[in-house]
Parts: sequence; C-alpha cells; structure tokens
Amino acid sequence: MPATLVAAERLSKTFQVKVRDPGLRGAVRALVRPRYRQVQAVRDVTFRIDPGEIVAFLGPNGAGKTTTLKMLAGLLYPTGGRVHVAGFDPWTGGPAFKRRIALVLGNRQQLVWDLPPEETYQLNRAIYDLAEADYRERLEELVSLLALEDVRDKPVRQLSLGERMKCELVASLLHRPPLLFLDEPTLGLDVTAQEAIRRFLIEYRDRHGATVLLTSHYMQDVTALASRVLMINQGRLLYDGALDVLVARIARVKRIELVLGGGDGVTRDALAAFGDVKSFHFPNAVLEVRREEAPATSARLLAALPIADLSIEDPPIEEVIRQAFAQGVEGEDA
Amino acid sequence: MSWTRRYAALIRNAWLVDLQYRASIVLWLLWGVTEPAIALGIWWAIAGSGTVGGYARADFARYFFGVMLINQLTIAWDSWYLDRWIREGELNFRLARPLHPAHEAVADNIAYKARTASVILIVWLVAAVLWPAVRLSATPGRLALTAVAVLLAAGMRFFISFTTGLLAFWTTRATAIMELHAGVSLFLAGRIAPLALLPPAVASVAGVLWFRSMLAFPVDLLTGNVQGVEAVLRGFGTQLGWLAFWAVACRAAWTRGLRRYGAVGG
Repeated sequence: MPATLVAAERLSKTFQVKVRDPGLRGAVRALVRPRYRQVQAVRDVTFRIDPGEIVAFLGPNGAGKTTTLKMLAGLLYPTGGRVHVAGFDPWTGGPAFKRRIALVLGNRQQLVWDLPPEETYQLNRAIYDLAEADYRERLEELVSLLALEDVRDKPVRQLSLGERMKCELVASLLHRPPLLFLDEPTLGLDVTAQEAIRRFLIEYRDRHGATVLLTSHYMQDVTALASRVLMINQGRLLYDGALDVLVARIARVKRIELVLGGGDGVTRDALAAFGDVKSFHFPNAVLEVRREEAPATSARLLAALPIADLSIEDPPIEEVIRQAFAQGVEGEDA
Repeated sequence: MSWTRRYAALIRNAWLVDLQYRASIVLWLLWGVTEPAIALGIWWAIAGSGTVGGYARADFARYFFGVMLINQLTIAWDSWYLDRWIREGELNFRLARPLHPAHEAVADNIAYKARTASVILIVWLVAAVLWPAVRLSATPGRLALTAVAVLLAAGMRFFISFTTGLLAFWTTRATAIMELHAGVSLFLAGRIAPLALLPPAVASVAGVLWFRSMLAFPVDLLTGNVQGVEAVLRGFGTQLGWLAFWAVACRAAWTRGLRRYGAVGG
C-alpha cells in the first residue's frame, strides 16, 4: 500500500458572518451594534488520499468543497480537526510545503494581466528557484502538451479564457509538484478547451504520478478524470468512493433506450406494460425499469416488439447526483 | 535559494507592468511634483522678502524640494494592493507560493521608488543648476545620515501601509483608514508646511507620534534644520522605536488576519 498523501481527520471550518437587516435602519444598526452568526462551512470531514489518485469533490454551491480544498492547500485555517498533506501540516508547512503543491483557481489567476505569460513563468522560475535547464525542459513539455506554442508572447489580456487557463496550468506546474489542487479548472471554458484540459491532466498524472484533487461543477470533468469522488453537502461528507458505485447505489432504475423497427403499430400504452415510459417519439423510446429487472425486461421487449436497437444505460449522471443530494446516500462510506 | 534572483525578477516584472502604463507613470510623477510645488508657491508668496518662523524663501525652496524627493522615496501604496488582494481573493495564489507576499510588496516599493525618485532627483539637479536657492550644502556625512533616515522612514511607512491594508481581513474600509492617515500626515508629517511653523502643541504631537519620523525628520536632516548630535540621535531613536512598533503591529495583523481569512468563496 502506498503511503497516504493527504489525511483529513474531523476537519472543520466555521466562518463568522456579519448579519445585517435590510434597509437604512438595518445598515445603521449594523454599524452601531454589529451582529454575527457562525456558519459551519465544513463539519467533521474525514478522508485519506493516496499518491497518484485523482479525486473530485462533488457538491452544490456553498457545500464546503472549495473550503476543504483551501484548507488542504494551507490557505484557510481549520477551526477543528487535523490535516496532514504531503508530510506537512499545511498551515505551518511554510515554503517546503508550498513547493510540493500547486493551486489552480479557475476564477483567480496568477498570470500577470498586462504581460505575456512567459513573464509569469520567468517569475515563478525565480520564486521556485529552478535551474535554467530544468525550467526550459519543463516549459517545453508543458507548452507542447497544452499546444501553447503560439501564445507565449501575447499579453495575457489578449488571450482567450481557455488559453489563459492553459497558461495558468503551465505557471502552476513548472516546479513539478506532486500534488495538484484544482478549483473549477474548466470554469467557463468551451467544450473543446474543457476536453483539452482534461486530456492534459490525465497525461500529466500518467507521466509524473501526480495526485490531483479537484472541484468542478461539470460532471464531464468528474467522469473523465476522477477515479474517486468525495460528495459534500452542507459541510458534511456524504459519500467517499468510486463514482459508478455511487450511481449504482443511488440510481434504483436503469434506462432502456429503444429504436423500434417495423411500422408505427407500437403505442405508448404498449410500452407502458414494460416500464415507465420517459419519452416516446416513434421510432425512439426511453423506458425506466427497476435496476434488477432490466435484463429480464429487455428480453421480454425483444421477444414482444419489433426492435431495431436496444441499449441499457444508467440515468444521466447529473440526475443521479441531483437525486443523491436530494435524498442523501444510503449506506455511505463516510 | 537566491533572494537576489527573486527580487530581480519581481522588480523586473513591476517595471515591465509600469511600461504598459506609461501615461499613468507621468501622471503619478506630476502628482509627486505638484503637491510640494503648490505648497512652495504659497509659502514663497507668504515669506516675501522676509522670513516666516525663521524660514526665508530659499529655505522653503530647499525644504519642499527635499519633501518632493524624500516623500517619493518613502511613500508606500501597499494598503491599496493588500485591500484588493484580500477582498478579491488575489491573495490566494500568493499564499500558495513559497514566498511571503510581503516580498512582492517590498519589490514593488523598490521598483516604484527607483523609478520616481530618480526622475525627481534629475529634476532637482537641473533646477539646482538654474536656481541657486535649491542648492544644498550638505556634507557627505549629512547625506549618509539622511540616507539612513530615509531607509528607516521608508521601512516604517511600508509597515504602516501594509498593516492598514491587512485591516481588510476585518473591515471593508481599510483604504478609508489609510486615506484618513494620509490626510492627517499632510499636516503632521510636514508635507504642506515645515513642522516648525505648526502650533507648538501640534508639532509636539507630530514628534511624539510617528508622523515626523515619516518625512519631516529626514527632510530636516538633509536641509540642515536638525543640528547637534543629541537632536540627530533623538530623531533616529524615535524612528527606530516607531519602526519596531509598526513591524510588530504588522506581524500581529498578518498572523491574526490570516486565521480570519475567508479566501473569497468556498
């Protein structure tokens, strides 16, 4: 078993938030007698992550996933519990810890806005004290993997959002950290740029054995990258495990997608005898049946109806996750 | 680890960014020259052919040229940067780097001061050729003492500005506090009048607090208005005391503020 790279034990974070009533009277009252309330952003979260894993934090806005990530990266001070990352307490790890991590924030970038990205790379070369040969070799590798040859000398403000995120990755990975924290790395990017980032992250992990912890609202990021998900809601860890296990646990149904053959003799009522008809536009139909009944129902459909094509699928992942947050996860590992 | 290389890279980047905003550099320079020039104009008119509080026209000229140069060598804008870094989350990536964000701020200060002060020094040298009133008769020893006083003042103003900026961890009005400090220092630091011309009670408050140490003391040292070993030592002692005070305050605000930090969103 590899040594644990990240260990969080009953990790908690409480923020003090100023409360203010609406209107002018509320503003004056808040000035004279400020009131605060405690918001528990993360509550008793415990998990371990091994080297080389790609783990995604799943959760709605305000669930606590970014707060957890920022505590792991040493940006936020935990109000409870313990955390150990890459051999360090992130809060006291200092420069030695920071050399072992990269933090990429989808909405806040380190690239110097008015200068070409190469200037930020040069700055990071000095900050991380990289030898010229290492710097050149790593820069070439990253620029080539991300196909950034043409944007080195363009000011950052003239780059597209996708190009900026790619350059941000280059700047963050020049020191070749073994642990990457990515907060919404594909935020606002078009489909092509999202795919390029995902391909790059997988390639980078395979080449350098890096461990990646990411948050994302795009389920494609999660399904393409993560071997494991940590599902967080209202600061609590609801699930820790493989995504397909979560889907099997939450999705009590399977979807049977049909392409009907023959004439248009098959009716919605005829299909309803086999399961819940989710959609029917001849010749296409989608039925939902209980998960354990899917093979038998498929066999009956094939025997009873003129079917040109049939496939059995899980419901869309977004729907499963929505359900999971709505109903909780039974028999959760966390 | 090469601190020289790190600082060289940070200063280089600051200058590269400056070069993108050439017009604003000129405007900032004009601002740096205009305020003492206006103050000089007023006192020049008031002094006429006599003296005010022992200052003749030529004394005012030397004093305000000193203010022009030394204010640019000691001024610090860090509270504005810090306030933005904290409120808008730009501190996040800086905290994730193996370099304390204060180093970037110090490098920015060096870059700014080298740029503006060198231009003002040239302006002064040209003016001195054409206008005998602003020529200094300072000895090398006095120039060396002034250099030390300027360094101490720059360090203190950096810590004041940085500490005030760190108040953004607690309040959204950190820059307003700095504006207030700038307004008070207009009078108490000697930016619009030599402290000797202020009412004695006000001047003594400026001397007991840090304001005189920020600007008036180094300027008076340069122009020869501080005379005698005791006065010089008292000035340096006050500077060192307030420098230490603000350094400790800065350290305390940093460690306490970071624990409150919300890192914007999450």
